[in-house]
Amino acid sequence: MRLGIVRGSVTLSPAVPELLGLTLVVLEPVSMANLRAKNGLAGGKSLIAVDALGAAKGQMVAFTEGSEAANPFWPKRVPVDAYCTLIVDTITTSSQP
Amino acid sequence: MFLARIDGTVVPAARHATLEGCRFLVAQRLEADGSTGAEPLVVIDWLGAAMSSTVLVSTDGDIARQRFGNTTPGRLVVVGIVDPVQAPRQSAGRTA
Repeated sequence: MRLGIVRGSVTLSPAVPELLGLTLVVLEPVSMANLRAKNGLAGGKSLIAVDALGAAKGQMVAFTEGSEAANPFWPKRVPVDAYCTLIVDTITTSSQP
Repeated sequence: MFLARIDGTVVPAARHATLEGCRFLVAQRLEADGSTGAEPLVVIDWLGAAMSSTVLVSTDGDIARQRFGNTTPGRLVVVGIVDPVQAPRQSAGRTA
């Protein structure tokens, strides 16, 4: 899982039936330098992920990528390749690079 | 699978229901020259990896599905802790 900061949400109309009712958020992946600096910046190339946890704008989440991102919908098959698995409360990292 | 260095811990405010009670760590992917990847990774650990230890991370979600059920989104799992005696040379930043 990578870490990302929620920057916004996406509403689809129309969409394939499998995606109806899902919350989609815009995530900006966090780089190691920004995570250590704790500056609220992210720095990665943004992507869209499904969020079932209710992450708010500005919160940091960890998201799963790949086919595993569709596992929560099993046995339904959905065209999802990024899924917010946890919302971060706190992160501790060693200060050295 | 790839080697990674454990660099921190994550305390979740909320998590997918299948991952209740799970331990999440921040890991940095290690390259052959000892440098680390630019983006931190959150990995699932039940072996008890320590800070700064080198671990083997699998990107296959199968082991997570076996343990946490078919609906788990868990994917990156610590599948082994590298013997410290045999561990590859650490990056320059760590040896100072």
